[in-house]
Amino acid sequence: MRASRLVRAELMLGYMSRRLALGALTVFGVSILVFGIMRVLPGDPLVAIFGPDGFTRLTEDQRAGYMAELGLSDPLHVQYLRWMGDILRGEFGRSFFRSESVADMILRRGPLTAQIAFLSVLLSWVIGLPVAIVSALRPNSLADNVVRFISILFLAVPGFWLGMLIVLGLLFAFGYRAPLTGASLLNDPWTTLQMIAGPAIVLGLGQAAYIARMARSSLLEVIREDYVRTARAKGVNRRAVIRLHALPNALLPVVTLSGILLGFVLAGSIPVERAFGTPGLGSAMYTAVSERDVFVMQNLVFLYAVVFVILNIAIDILIAWIDPRIRFQ
Amino acid sequence: MSASDPLVLAGPAEPGRQTHVLGGFRRFARRSPTTAFWAVVAAVIVLVAILAPLIAPYDPLAANFRLMSKPPSEAAWFGTDQVGRDVLSRVIHGSQTSLMVAAAAVLFGTTVGALWGLACGYFGGRFDLFSQRVIEFMQSFPDLILAMAIAMALGAGTWTVILAIAITRIPFGGRVVRSVVLSVKEMPFVEAARGLGASHLRLMLRHILPQCIAPFLILATAHLGVAIIIEASLGFLGVGIPPPMPTWGNMLADSLNAGLVPPWWLVLFPGLAITLTVLAFNLLGDGLRDLLDPRLRGSV
Repeated sequence: MRASRLVRAELMLGYMSRRLALGALTVFGVSILVFGIMRVLPGDPLVAIFGPDGFTRLTEDQRAGYMAELGLSDPLHVQYLRWMGDILRGEFGRSFFRSESVADMILRRGPLTAQIAFLSVLLSWVIGLPVAIVSALRPNSLADNVVRFISILFLAVPGFWLGMLIVLGLLFAFGYRAPLTGASLLNDPWTTLQMIAGPAIVLGLGQAAYIARMARSSLLEVIREDYVRTARAKGVNRRAVIRLHALPNALLPVVTLSGILLGFVLAGSIPVERAFGTPGLGSAMYTAVSERDVFVMQNLVFLYAVVFVILNIAIDILIAWIDPRIRFQ
Repeated sequence: MSASDPLVLAGPAEPGRQTHVLGGFRRFARRSPTTAFWAVVAAVIVLVAILAPLIAPYDPLAANFRLMSKPPSEAAWFGTDQVGRDVLSRVIHGSQTSLMVAAAAVLFGTTVGALWGLACGYFGGRFDLFSQRVIEFMQSFPDLILAMAIAMALGAGTWTVILAIAITRIPFGGRVVRSVVLSVKEMPFVEAARGLGASHLRLMLRHILPQCIAPFLILATAHLGVAIIIEASLGFLGVGIPPPMPTWGNMLADSLNAGLVPPWWLVLFPGLAITLTVLAFNLLGDGLRDLLDPRLRGSV
């Protein structure tokens, strides 16, 4: 017993270290890609900052001056290394247009978006899973078909549009508008909840559609397995078989999917926060994009990608911990 | 990440029989009436997009300051926007832009991805290993963020948006086609052709590539919907196709500028157009998958 536990821990550690090494490589690759998109693609950063008209009005000297001031006239690898150095020291630079540093902005706005993401994932499971079970237990019944159509419908509805409709609907029906500025979760939870509820519901419904589809097909597959049939044959009741035998196995791919979806929630929150006017990290990204604020974008895009990579690693490790088959690969 | 990729398992499909188009459609409709229905809806949307200038009742760019922000009426079914442009005409013209951009992006992105995947699967080895890492890096960004960053860096314009969306589609094409190639290249007919002295290029293009067409078509249709949503999101965030050219996304963005509370008809109709179009293409894609590759039936 003890030996096997040791072996298990060793396998788990081996798997984790391999996964982390791969993750570090991915973060490196991602940083190169972000840097490449922002600096090497044929868009001139000064055009991005001053706009095409402003750029043509600058003299050659001014252009060179600005480039040098922003550190853009150094060789690319020097710029890249300086960027990485800044990030390692926790300095994410400053916007051209605002006095607040990017790091402060992330700390101020990040929590709101994180709460939206967390609540939406919670909602997606609470809605998606029961729906999938009902659907999978009676495949091709009326309920199954209705549920499948609704989930396909939600894959087609753009989240930000649904958000705009909700805002309008609440305004017309109840004259209600969610608070726009706010409060932190600790000192005013009610205001915060009103701010995050809308985006979380919209993003949660979108994910729930994916979760329901994935869980349904995965359950349908597992239900046909021998061990489920055996359990039924030896007289275990249907409910217990689903709960104890089928569900735990069927949920593995759903957990993986949910992790990937979480990354897409971070992206989806950009237009959705704009639709609701929520002052989270997503609307900061919107501001940066509409002001063509290259350095803020560079850091935010990198931050989102790193969060996405870390989430994926965490999910992979979680799956390996739950499912021994993965560890042995 | 392959768990999210329903098409990774797609194998070669049976070679299609050539029949008359109408007869083929009738048989197709009998086998799968819902797919046929959504195929018709999709076809109508495509037709509307192509014939937009003929169908649209008004000029989508013509402002009319006597008819600003009017609700839907008999003269303007979908109402008018804050400068008096006809919303119906703008939605119709928007379909042209949205569909063209989405189709071009998907075609370009998945084709580049497919050729890359073909080379990866066929040659294997170090090239494949390196390519898989690069694809992994690309997939470490949520689609929309990658597209936003590229569109912003390149500056606004139709081609930039197409390129930005296309780049996010490359990994999908690459992964699907690579996995098909890996299974096909071990098959006896490929070995036979190699034995007859066929060159690498001939083996890839003449013998292996045709086997990838069914999964490629399924993938492309399925991703058309995603591309339309990304295009709309980019437009909504102001990095899509620049106004005044109407797209569904920038119409929605525009509606937020129409005052403190956007008129409902400015919000409702472009969004409905997006939803209906994406729904039609997604369901058509699902149906095609079931028909072309029955082994995948019922999977995600």
